[in-house]
Amino acid sequence: MTEPLLKIENLRIELALRSGQAPVIDDLSLELRPGETLSFVGESGCGKSMTALAIMGLLPEKVGSIAGGRILFDGRDMAQMNDAQLRSIRGNEISMIFQEPMTSLNPVYTVGEQIAEVLRRHKGMSKQAAWARAIELLDAVRIPNAKSRVSDYPHQMSGGQRQRVMIAIALACAPKILIADEPTTALDVTVQAQIFDLLRDLGRETGTAIILITHDMGAVSEMADRMVVMYAGRKAEDGPVAPVISHPRHPYTKGLISCVPHLLAKLTEQRPDLTEVPGIVPALASFGADACLFASRCDMADDKCRSSRPPEVAFGEQHSACWKADQL
Amino acid sequence: MTALLTVENLSVRFPIKRGWGKTSWLYAVDDVSFEVQRGETLAIVGESGSGKTTAALGVARLVGNSGGKVDLAGEDFLALEPEALRRARAKVQVIFQDPYSSLNPRLRAEAIVREPMDSIGTLPVDQRAARVAELFEQVGLRPEQMKLFPHQFSGGQRQRIGIARALATNPELIICDEAVSALDVAVQAQILNLLRRLQRDLGLTYLFISHDLGVVQHMSDHIAVMYMGKIVEYADRLSLFNSPRHPYTKALLSAVPSVDQKRKVERLLIPGDPPDPLNPPRGCRFASRCHFVEDACRSEQPPLTEVAAHHKVACIKA
Ligand SMILES: Nc1ncnc2c1ncn2[C@@H]1O[C@H](COP(=O)(O)OP(=O)(O)OP(=O)(O)O)[C@@H](O)[C@H]1O
Ligand SMILES: Nc1ncnc2c1ncn2[C@@H]1O[C@H](COP(=O)(O)OP(=O)(O)OP(=O)(O)O)[C@@H](O)[C@H]1O
Ligand code: SF4
Ligand SMILES: [Mg+2]
Ligand SMILES: [Mg+2]
Repeated sequence: MTEPLLKIENLRIELALRSGQAPVIDDLSLELRPGETLSFVGESGCGKSMTALAIMGLLPEKVGSIAGGRILFDGRDMAQMNDAQLRSIRGNEISMIFQEPMTSLNPVYTVGEQIAEVLRRHKGMSKQAAWARAIELLDAVRIPNAKSRVSDYPHQMSGGQRQRVMIAIALACAPKILIADEPTTALDVTVQAQIFDLLRDLGRETGTAIILITHDMGAVSEMADRMVVMYAGRKAEDGPVAPVISHPRHPYTKGLISCVPHLLAKLTEQRPDLTEVPGIVPALASFGADACLFASRCDMADDKCRSSRPPEVAFGEQHSACWKADQL
Repeated sequence: MTALLTVENLSVRFPIKRGWGKTSWLYAVDDVSFEVQRGETLAIVGESGSGKTTAALGVARLVGNSGGKVDLAGEDFLALEPEALRRARAKVQVIFQDPYSSLNPRLRAEAIVREPMDSIGTLPVDQRAARVAELFEQVGLRPEQMKLFPHQFSGGQRQRIGIARALATNPELIICDEAVSALDVAVQAQILNLLRRLQRDLGLTYLFISHDLGVVQHMSDHIAVMYMGKIVEYADRLSLFNSPRHPYTKALLSAVPSVDQKRKVERLLIPGDPPDPLNPPRGCRFASRCHFVEDACRSEQPPLTEVAAHHKVACIKA
């Protein structure tokens, strides 16, 4: 097995709430290998973006902090780095595409200026060289007429094109890791398909490892090699995508897959009701409890689930944090 | 079966100001005809800006400048005078995408649900409170929640309030415009099941707009596929999903990622961007992006033509 590019060990991130500190990420461990695509899935508020922000060293100031664990990138612990060290990695060796492309592009600069700026800052390129490279990058993300579109302002582009510009910026410095936080949520499925194709090709061509955050199991199964299912700041399950989807070992994963109507190869008249997972994700204040945090919504829960946190159990490469994982 | 809604040659246009005083018209919906049977769900799909919302709201005269003919439960909707229209509005209600912004934050949940009854006057005043209680039960909210304000509910619960409000006037047609798109998958399942249960129990008819084709496949009886203001394909559920005929529909379906390992379709990428809606091409509107295009496609607009039972396609090669 290849050495992991990124290794997160027992990461704990605490947020300051009015009622005290709460662990928004609680004892999370995972590995990302070179060239692979890893997907984070889970409902809103489960801590997917927080994990990404922690890796980027971008936790919300004064509110969030790393309270324990290590984030090893190329053997160095990012949790111990100062701002200057993080800045040299961010946007350079690890870069991120955010959920909403319009708010993360600056409306007063052309897209070319915004790409060139990253190259000049991290690579010390001259103005002309950076501009030429910006055109190449727009071309690489398949913006037609890159040479003239490079002088467009963000509002002159469609949503899909803006997202491709974001990808061009993220790729400008040939990062080792690209974190894509719901990169296609606001886009049409046909545009999403273009963006996914692009990400897949780039991964293949440059060996960039991708962390794809999404709530779409279909996207996970098409895009990712391995997946991490998050629930209430904890890892519920992880493993290679195919076995996790065909045989989930955690009731939450099972619920996430079966509550969604998936497009089928052959549609029939049958149309049973969707599986319901009752209730919602617990409030942040209760994330730290010594219990399975899914217990209030789980139809298999018993007293043990409600009174002690389930440890991780391995099934080959698949891991599940459920007391009853072997019964699933 | 009888048609609850018959739409003939519906066009909806918006005035767009360009430059000094010059107004051009944007035909967001352009000469569209369809029928919805009572108790059924017609889904409208298509890319962003294709005119789904405008078509649905245009039917109820809730948007823009409509032309054509709309027959809703025997009423000639586009010809109604203002007072008659106000009363007729009781028959059609809308559930919006955003449960956060579509509810007045200063009103208690019970007042929000009651509001359409007050404004349309469908029920004697002394019976309205009981009706609100009944609606709360129907959508799975608890009675004590009637006194709460919107911010005190979760997203899914807020969407239930939106549904209760839509049901308040005993409508026959409900327009669901991306009604579950903002919800988490687990909550989405609850709301979709609720909508289907209400449809069975109350005989409701839905115009169901969603960009999620898995959801559409689950909810619809018939599907209209729109592209740039036109219906390009119209079919029953099995025909559309198992044997799509229009190149745009094929590309759309092939773009959807799925967990079904057997569903290994070859992806048909759609190149380029859609043309300027203010200046649509003369022939087929999909011609500039279509893999199967030939000269004839560019000269004349292909009409929506029946190719099989319950299956119409607007493509000369279908
Ligand atoms: N700046 C902040 N201050 C306080 N709490 C925050 C902040 N940002 C996020 N949170 C809380 O942290 C928890 C995890 O949030 P996170 O953004 O990681 O969720 P997510 O899994 O990315 O959800 P989504 O799918 O909605 O993007 C949530 O309960 C959220 O309300
Ligand atoms: N009030 C308005 N004034 C001017 N143009 C409008 C107005 N409402 C919609 N349009 C235009 O009409 C066209 C159709 O818009 P519509 O909102 O119906 O699309 P849609 O298919 O519902 O898209 P989406 O999936 O993004 O909701 C678009 O070109 C849009 O810009
Ligand atoms: S530990 Fe118990 S409550 Fe938690 S998921 Fe497993 S069975 Fe359900
Ligand atoms: Mg997030
Ligand atoms: Mg719309």
